[in-house]
Amino acid sequence: MAFHKGQKVEIYRRSADESWGPHMDEYIGRHGVITDPDTTKNDPDALIEVSIDGKGTHRFPQDCLRLIDA
Amino acid sequence: MSAPAPCPVHETILRVRGEIESGRLAHPRSRRIAEEILDLLNDVAWGRAGQDHPGAIASLADELAADTEHPAAPGLARFLLDALSRQREVFQSHIETHNCASGDCVRLVPAPCQMACPAGIDVPTYVNLIALGRDAEAIEVIRRDNPFPWVCGLVCTRPCEFMCVRGRLDKPISIKFLKAFAAERALSERSYRNPPREADKGRRVAVIGAGPGGLTAAYYLALKGYGVTVFEELPMAGGMMMIGIPRYRLPREVIDREVAMLEDLGVRFRFGTRFGRDVDLETLKSRGYDAVFLAIGAHASFKLNIPGEADFPQVIEAIALLRRVALGDHRAPGKRVVVVGGGNVAIDAARTCLRLGCEEVTIAYRRSRADMPADVEEVEQAEEEGVRFSFLTIPKAVHGAASAVRGLECVRAKMVKKDDGPRLFPVPVEGSEFTIEADTVVSAIGQRIELECLRDLQGLSWSRRQTIQASAVTQETSLPGVFAGGDAVTGPATVVEAIGAGKRAAEAIDRWLSGIPQPTMPPVPVRRRRVDWIEVPASTKMTLRRPEMPLLNLERRRTTFQQVELGYPENAVREEARRCLRCDVCLRCGQCVAVCRDRMGIDALQFGFLSFDRPGPTDLRVTAERCILCGACAANCPNDAIRVVDRGGERLLSWCGTILNRERLERCEGCGAVLGPRRYLEYLQKRTAPVGPLLTGRLLCQACARRESARMHTDIAPV
Repeated sequence: MAFHKGQKVEIYRRSADESWGPHMDEYIGRHGVITDPDTTKNDPDALIEVSIDGKGTHRFPQDCLRLIDA
Repeated sequence: MSAPAPCPVHETILRVRGEIESGRLAHPRSRRIAEEILDLLNDVAWGRAGQDHPGAIASLADELAADTEHPAAPGLARFLLDALSRQREVFQSHIETHNCASGDCVRLVPAPCQMACPAGIDVPTYVNLIALGRDAEAIEVIRRDNPFPWVCGLVCTRPCEFMCVRGRLDKPISIKFLKAFAAERALSERSYRNPPREADKGRRVAVIGAGPGGLTAAYYLALKGYGVTVFEELPMAGGMMMIGIPRYRLPREVIDREVAMLEDLGVRFRFGTRFGRDVDLETLKSRGYDAVFLAIGAHASFKLNIPGEADFPQVIEAIALLRRVALGDHRAPGKRVVVVGGGNVAIDAARTCLRLGCEEVTIAYRRSRADMPADVEEVEQAEEEGVRFSFLTIPKAVHGAASAVRGLECVRAKMVKKDDGPRLFPVPVEGSEFTIEADTVVSAIGQRIELECLRDLQGLSWSRRQTIQASAVTQETSLPGVFAGGDAVTGPATVVEAIGAGKRAAEAIDRWLSGIPQPTMPPVPVRRRRVDWIEVPASTKMTLRRPEMPLLNLERRRTTFQQVELGYPENAVREEARRCLRCDVCLRCGQCVAVCRDRMGIDALQFGFLSFDRPGPTDLRVTAERCILCGACAANCPNDAIRVVDRGGERLLSWCGTILNRERLERCEGCGAVLGPRRYLEYLQKRTAPVGPLLTGRLLCQACARRESARMHTDIAPV
């Protein structure tokens, strides 16, 4: 799944990626909007930017994200 | 979904309130102390506490501990002292930022736009200052968190607008362009000024890289009184803003003017100085720099890795092309150009080629249009200007002769699933080879950081993505006193993210040099001011539309580097800012809607924007049709976002300044006292009808009605 700007996503699980920090656990279950996908080459390994409702904008590995119905 | 962590301030308030209400604090003196503590805690939760509050609470807790006759008092004292000690950071954050990130302290819930901004700019405040025509004050508010309001007003990826609640109603507020307008206006009026600098601390910080991250760190460190020198390989400041973003999107003067503000603060620049070649960590230490911030960006490109790529000088990297054009070399790279890639850099390279005079520019992208990662607006503008697109096209080889490119051999792709996963991958279609005739091939398939300049930094940790490993909270690296941020840490990202990282780094460097412990959580955005809301009728609020951005005419867009987006006229800016829903005041808790619908049975508030996941229809004008002005919504609003006031013979219901309903007030025919609007009186009459008639054809207050009733009774049964 390539993510696109403006899509609504859920942080549905913890990622094993090294970029996952301990403070990010509280984002699990939260919903947000993709604000800056990998704008270069749709790399599934790229960190992509998500604005989480009420929790700020952060970069996440893609394996912890899933699309939610609009 | 994991339960969100509750706010420690809120939890402490609940505990103290519970103890008071339970009656366990038997001694009157203990109860009084607990009530005083509760008042102070409420100050913290309401954003009106000062720096002395935690100390005062601790002092009262010590007094409470002295009540040894009743175990509840020392127990509560221990709880308070423990909370103040363990959660000092959170208490301090409430006092300093006037925001509560958990949302439990309802007065301090930040607006979604502010929370979304990687730099944490107080968006509602500056948007409303712009609505009031106070542009210089708006810029002052923005620059507390972002020293580049004009740059960001033109090129920000605007996460704030994606989270804008107005977008659930129609279209988000045009926050980005409002910022650009205010910056331009303030600069032209000479009211764009630096805040005062703190006294010189006698410490020096070296910033490596004059991009958005490095410059931001330099700005905030200079304001804190540090001597800052920025080392930059290029001959000018700006980094990727200068050499990666074409001038038709971001004029050089915009960057120069905002960088000049840093020079005014005393930030010094050493241009033409490459880290790892002209200067290194040891040299900087020996020259007296106490800390270093690495913000070198991601300026190297990935290779296409296809035959012929290295054989022809006409196969060039998009970043290199954009850089040389930004540095003033405006020669066309060729007549027929193929740009490989589908991101923003590919689009920028293609549009730049058109402006340099290339006759035919084609973007070859291996996926479909829908998969293009570039911004939709950028793609549309490129198409308008004449850039061609070849989708589902995989480059296979560069062909040419006599050191000249003749074409790019490609193969058609189809999108297929692999390993039963949901992601589609482009796979070559056998036998579908074709050649795009071209004399220049531009590769735009991504950037990476240049590792070479950092190779000698022993002990610096790297991520598996070949970026510098740094804390997302403090930007600290594995080397003491060395911090890093921007694209060098995140990989290619956005200007505003780099600005956010630069600001965090400046705060962390200041703490490190002052011997203060570093935070463990990302900073909470700071509410800079509380601006009164602007009164707007509901019909106006609903019918104001986001303006279209006027664009330069197509002929000039194809031939010059003039700015394409021309900016809004002033009246459009002021109107646009008035569309703001003031989400810094309304928390969208929905209590008003629930009480109106469920308790009163009226259902006059059609606030479909309350839900993030499934917003429903919103019409602020509906309220005037149904509302009885009972005030139940206002009474149940935890943040005074809804108000009912009597003014000029009318009762007004407003929500964050939007007048939802107004009705003429009826007065008592006997004494002239205000009774309320007729709809409300009718509602009361309907509700009390089973008990007995309230109105007998005359509008009377309770006292007059009682007198009237007594007189009637006397008439009927004279004493």
